Amino acid sequence: MKKLLGRSRVVRFRQTLLSRYMLIILFAFLFIPIIFPLASVVYMVIEEQSGNGNDDYLKYGNSAALESMWHREASLLDEGAPEQVDRKLREMKGRYPEGSFFWVDMAGATRLQLPPQEGLPDRWTHTDAIRYMKANIDGDPFTVVAFLGPDDAGSGFMVMQLPRSLLQLSTPIGSGTPYYIGFLFVMFAFFILLSLLFFRHIRRRLLRLQSAMTMRGNDGLPMPIVLTKYDEIGQLEAAFNEMTEQLRGSKERERAEEELRKRLIANLSHDLRTPLTVMNSHVYSLRGEPLSAQGQSSVKQLEQKIGSLGSLIDNLLTYTLMTSGKYPLRLDRLDVLRLVRESAAAWYPLWEQEGIEPDINLPDEPLFWRVDKEGFRRVLDNLYQNIVRHARSGQYIGISVEQGARGRTIVISDRGAGMTGESAGKGAGIGLAIVDYLLSEMKLERRTESTEGGTRILIGSRAEEQHFLNEI
Amino acid sequence: MGVKLLYIEDDKEIGSFVRSHLERHGYEVEWLTSGETAVQAAAGCRLAILDVMLPGLDGFTVGQRLKRSEPSLPILMLSARASIDDKLQGLQFADDYLTKPFHPDELTARIEVLLRRTAAAGTEPVAIKHLLVYEQENRVVVRDSGEEITLTGKQFHIFSYMLRHLGQILTKEQIYEAVWGESYIEGDKTLMVHIRYLREKIERDPSSPEVVETVRGIGYRVRP
Repeated sequence: MKKLLGRSRVVRFRQTLLSRYMLIILFAFLFIPIIFPLASVVYMVIEEQSGNGNDDYLKYGNSAALESMWHREASLLDEGAPEQVDRKLREMKGRYPEGSFFWVDMAGATRLQLPPQEGLPDRWTHTDAIRYMKANIDGDPFTVVAFLGPDDAGSGFMVMQLPRSLLQLSTPIGSGTPYYIGFLFVMFAFFILLSLLFFRHIRRRLLRLQSAMTMRGNDGLPMPIVLTKYDEIGQLEAAFNEMTEQLRGSKERERAEEELRKRLIANLSHDLRTPLTVMNSHVYSLRGEPLSAQGQSSVKQLEQKIGSLGSLIDNLLTYTLMTSGKYPLRLDRLDVLRLVRESAAAWYPLWEQEGIEPDINLPDEPLFWRVDKEGFRRVLDNLYQNIVRHARSGQYIGISVEQGARGRTIVISDRGAGMTGESAGKGAGIGLAIVDYLLSEMKLERRTESTEGGTRILIGSRAEEQHFLNEI
Repeated sequence: MGVKLLYIEDDKEIGSFVRSHLERHGYEVEWLTSGETAVQAAAGCRLAILDVMLPGLDGFTVGQRLKRSEPSLPILMLSARASIDDKLQGLQFADDYLTKPFHPDELTARIEVLLRRTAAAGTEPVAIKHLLVYEQENRVVVRDSGEEITLTGKQFHIFSYMLRHLGQILTKEQIYEAVWGESYIEGDKTLMVHIRYLREKIERDPSSPEVVETVRGIGYRVRP
């Protein structure tokens, strides 16, 4: 249920990495059509601010406008009406208080001056006029000369002078350009920074995800990742979590199955052995009773059968457990002769009791093989047990090491009737099956040489792989 | 009454048989059918016999509890499970182990060995052949003459290790590693030299030793 919810959760577009990437791309597209005009506007504003920010910023317009205005005014006047001209000049003075005005009539006499100006001749000759013009054209103050009357027909003229500062910007044109470039540069840098941050963020999250994926919990499975955002990477994280969850689940199921199987076998073993133990105790009680010789021998037989049934059950269950892979062997480089000696030490009292004469002839130097300690002991136990059960008649057990074609082999021999011979108790099969299974898991093998005079079991390397171990 | 044993077994038939068998051999038996009260019942007992499959607490748990409350109490496990399974789990704390169906004589023999082993670590002197060994006092005395035998530290250490494993055959590696506390180097003659000196001191006839017996090809044994 939880998994379903997790999967069906719809990612809103706003939350996706794609949307954010689109935003950046959009920004890049808008860069030219929006940013450039925007920059221009900003430029204008800056220009506005940095120029004569006061009200008299070119308050009379530019020089061309003034010039044409002056010519227009002059063309409307009649040089024959001096009061009209005077009135116009006064009006102009009122309109342009900073200006200087005068006019010259057709006779060449200087008339009204507003304000009175020095350096003007009372009577203008041609030379004066030319000199005046020469001195004032393109100079400061800005000077406009216009002939009176329409179409410059008159020979009188009127002059207006204005300080150049009123007509010109104090700051030169284009003084805001560095700001403009700076602004573009900042915007560009901002864009680069934005994309850089975006990718760095993605990269960091991917790296975090990668390191989280490689982190293992106690059970050897990857740990779930804490979700931070639910975008594409978040989805990836969620999918990963779901996967680990499934993995954990299946491992848990496997473990539970294994547990169940083990318990089943343990219960089976218990249920089979408990009645055997009860039977055994009753048989034992019988021994205390006065019995005929035949009765005594039957009791002995019963005891033996119960014993071998017990170990048969053990072998059967052990075989089931082992072959189902529930007992993985741990192979270590061990001195197997030591294991052989320790195992023989445990069996020795029984051999003595059964009248079997042990002949143990093992070299002092160790023999290292890669074996599982418990598994190898089990192999030896089963082989010794077979001898006690089936080859007791030989009254001999020999344990030695021989140099074979494939390195050294451990030889366990008896003088029983041989494997083909009739033995008091059959059922060596399962015990030997366990031996062979364990040996093959340890890359060893058993060879049997059986004659009527006895059996030799040789345990050695299956292949060359064990050899180098002795040279280490 | 004799030595008191704690016996935990849920099967009534087996339980009553084992109890009467042990009582016939002179033991006093405290029989419980579950492990819940095992720790309290263990007071005054010299040994505990535990079945592995018990209702409620299993034998391993009970055994571990017993070992925790009374570390010196020897525990003999009786099991009806597959031996490979139990061997891995059970012998961690148990002192000995017997699988069902067991022979009643085998059970009494194992109990005897375990009791002797713990006695060897106690204050009671242990009698071996012609010797009396006071383990606590590091003393070995000849029983008849009362003559004191002086052993070096290592010799006594070897001898008492063998006494603690009375009747068991010990390999050279086992003895060496228990006494010297380091792993046995093959071909090391140190142990053999020590055993030769030990025999010269404690044996009546060092050339045919009775106390420390050589088991050819395997190791040594001290028989009760």
